Amino acid sequence: MIELRRYVKEVSQGEHDVVDIARKALASAKSIDKEHAYFNTFADERFIEEANAKPKGRLAGVAISVKDCVCVKGVESTAGSDILRGYKPLFDATAVERVWKQGGMIIGKTSQDEFGFGGFSVNIGKGYRVPKNPFDTNRSCGGSSGGAAGMTRKAEFPHLAIGESTGGSITCPAAFCGVVGFCPTYGRVSRWGLIDYANSLDKIGSMAKNVRDAALLIEVMAGSDPQDSTCSDLPVEQFSTVDGDIKGLRVGIIKEAFGEGVDPAVAESVKNATRELEAKGAIIKEISLPLNAKYGIPTYYLIAMCEASTNLAKYGGMRYGAHEKLEGDFNTYFTKVRTAHFGDEAKRRLMLGTFARMAGYRDAYYLRALKLRSALIDEYKSAFKGVDVLASPTMPMVAPTFDEISKLTPLQNYMADILTVGPNVAGLPHISVPVSPAHRMPVGIQLVADHFKESTLVRTGVNLE
Amino acid sequence: MNFTSDVVIGLEIHVQLNTVTKLFCRCPTVAQEPNSATCPVCLGHPGSKPVLNKVALEKSTMIALAIGCAINPSMQFSRKTYFYPDMSKNYQITQFELPLAEHGNVTLDDGKVVRVKRVHMEEDPAALVHQGSADYTLVDYNRSGMPLVEIVTEPDMTTPDEAREFIKKLMHIISYLKVFDDANGIIKADANVSIKESGYTRVEIKNITGAKEIERALIVEVQRQHGSIKSGENIVQETRGWDPAVGMTRSQRKKETEDDYGYIIDPDLPTITMSKDRVEQLRALVPELGGEKATRLTQQYKIDAVDASVMAKERELGELFERVAQHVDPVLAARWMRRELRRALAAAGKDVSEVDEKLLVELLQLIDKKTITDRIGQRLVDRLVQEGISPAKVVKEEGLAAVSDESAITTVVKQVVDANPAVVAQYKAGEEKAFNFLVGQSMKALKGKGSPAVINKILKVVLG
Ligand SMILES: [Zn+2]
Repeated sequence: MIELRRYVKEVSQGEHDVVDIARKALASAKSIDKEHAYFNTFADERFIEEANAKPKGRLAGVAISVKDCVCVKGVESTAGSDILRGYKPLFDATAVERVWKQGGMIIGKTSQDEFGFGGFSVNIGKGYRVPKNPFDTNRSCGGSSGGAAGMTRKAEFPHLAIGESTGGSITCPAAFCGVVGFCPTYGRVSRWGLIDYANSLDKIGSMAKNVRDAALLIEVMAGSDPQDSTCSDLPVEQFSTVDGDIKGLRVGIIKEAFGEGVDPAVAESVKNATRELEAKGAIIKEISLPLNAKYGIPTYYLIAMCEASTNLAKYGGMRYGAHEKLEGDFNTYFTKVRTAHFGDEAKRRLMLGTFARMAGYRDAYYLRALKLRSALIDEYKSAFKGVDVLASPTMPMVAPTFDEISKLTPLQNYMADILTVGPNVAGLPHISVPVSPAHRMPVGIQLVADHFKESTLVRTGVNLE
Repeated sequence: MNFTSDVVIGLEIHVQLNTVTKLFCRCPTVAQEPNSATCPVCLGHPGSKPVLNKVALEKSTMIALAIGCAINPSMQFSRKTYFYPDMSKNYQITQFELPLAEHGNVTLDDGKVVRVKRVHMEEDPAALVHQGSADYTLVDYNRSGMPLVEIVTEPDMTTPDEAREFIKKLMHIISYLKVFDDANGIIKADANVSIKESGYTRVEIKNITGAKEIERALIVEVQRQHGSIKSGENIVQETRGWDPAVGMTRSQRKKETEDDYGYIIDPDLPTITMSKDRVEQLRALVPELGGEKATRLTQQYKIDAVDASVMAKERELGELFERVAQHVDPVLAARWMRRELRRALAAAGKDVSEVDEKLLVELLQLIDKKTITDRIGQRLVDRLVQEGISPAKVVKEEGLAAVSDESAITTVVKQVVDANPAVVAQYKAGEEKAFNFLVGQSMKALKGKGSPAVINKILKVVLG
């Protein structure tokens, strides 16, 4: 397959029949989708229209799949929830608009856990399909950006995926599907047009077959945006083209991420990768992050659920999405719509999130989680005084089978995020890069850098390809 | 709290700011057709995000400063969650833990201080438009996201009259700051009222519109509570609605516990930090307020107290006065501006800002130097306001200067006396009215150019 950046250059010089490529890509994506369920919606019309418009720019002629929770103007965008069925946004997310301006062509909306509520893409909305792992259809793609990761693996045409992570939803599926998942610093990419899960944690990122392609997509999407008050004004570094010189780079191996609860075969693959880095000149150190190991999961879930339960309040069948017959008073009506159209995990998080912010519990849960979050960030900040990048397995296991997942309790389910929640809670940039497989399934190494040091991740990551 | 008064009243007052755009989106605050001033943000569409209107923040800060509040160096917005059809997101963006400002006060005329607990910003929900007896209600999202400032008092008022005075004072301050649309802006209040006889059981009256209605609702509610006690009923903690059409409060909801809105910090809106410098810059923009200004004007210019209070109340008139007083006797200027200029403006339907300052000075100087009589002065004020004439020029061209020559006046007066023998006879018979008639006739003959005082003096001489 042609190298993506070479292809973009050639498209800009008019060397390809983009419309023909687009038609074939769409047909190919649809046939992959039949077996693997990677898409909630195809944007046929818009995709071919954009191909016809002679795309130019840094992503010219590249098919861009967009996680369903990111709004695409005129294309059904539901965040994988039945309650938003039929909702076609009036505007493009800033990330989508910037991609389109650089010649990217929107192919469709990829499948995910409903509103991002899961790590295996099995908590789908009512009537949606569960995406299947590209290596073994009995296994999960990971989540919540499951469709994005699977499609990135399977695409035989120039393709990049826009993903989104709240607690690990980019690196987890990237690790399970054997692709690169890149989640930038919180605020690096505008959230305007992102259907909220937990606003203080949500980040739009990318997936690709290699580190530089993933970095390129972030570069295009990043930068200040007056429509998102939490978006950073810092200039965007050209990190997709940094060199791969890691002589003297200090890599911290997170001690707690290789112990109990982590598949030894997975741990060994990741250890091997760090040895590779060492061979290329990096200095390997061991680092302990005890607070994150202990409080990462509860802090993440409390903040995420509290915010999510307010974000989901607006879905009541009044102006868009699912409706029901207008009967009874407004309370009866809202209850009817929400009962019928939210999935089980959405209901669970709504109830837990509402509980944790109610008077009497608020101090013990919500406010305490906010305080813990500061402590967790501090722990990372002091770690970055001694190292440039932190390394761990992305997930403590390879992609589980659907049968295994069905036996997990909700708590075991949440615990699977143990290695990804840390950088997400702290808003730190992180990337998952495939390393040698275990049990014949892909394994990812997760690299974490300090805020706005995306370039360090690229510099380190390219050494593992 | 240890209350001792017969009645205890606390107020929460919502003032709609006169910004051009809404609090968190760029929709206009003025719209004609229902639902025409809307966008994904104020309609609560998925993926939209609020961005704070900086002007609203500044205007709110000025209100808080004007009532002596301390501005919090960092403030946050929170989500107040409850389900209601007028809420586009089913949460309202307001301020909870860290409001804009705290600890202010407003002094009433008798010197009593009403403490202001906090001042915060929040968005207005949409408007529900009920369709008479129809079994449905329409929603107008033009109001969704309108900028509101909420001023919360301590329960310091002890009569409905004090509450009215507090609101009047507050409204005066707000209109003085020009942050409120006096013509179309809406002020709403929630009031909590309790009486001694019930052991101060708190009853909240929701959603009263307008200062007069607030006083009326409070009077009615105090009477209701007293009546209940007299007839042996208990007052219960509850929320009541005010029905202005019937002039009654009605029970809406009994409250066993405080409302639980499950507040969280709004993660879409970063913490706002307000530097001391910025606060001082805004403080400099807060004009001197009514009470202090009236005192200063009387002291500095030695003008009449009534004139001073009007100059203080009407900000632009007061500012014009202070400029004019640099060139004319302030006492005369204040008197003429309060009486004649305001009368002429009202008659012409014009605003103080339309008055040409130079021409006004010119006119007041003519009056001050007695170049023209007060009568002519009054007529010229009208013409100055309506036509923008130059008083000096008109006086010259139309020969309106006062007749200062006493012999000329004597001639005219004599003619008037000769022409009215019957009236002169009445005067001599002791009728005062007759004298006034003769003065009037003389004035008329002099076309208003003769000073009434001079005419009086000469007429007395002529009549012997
Ligand atoms: Zn709007």
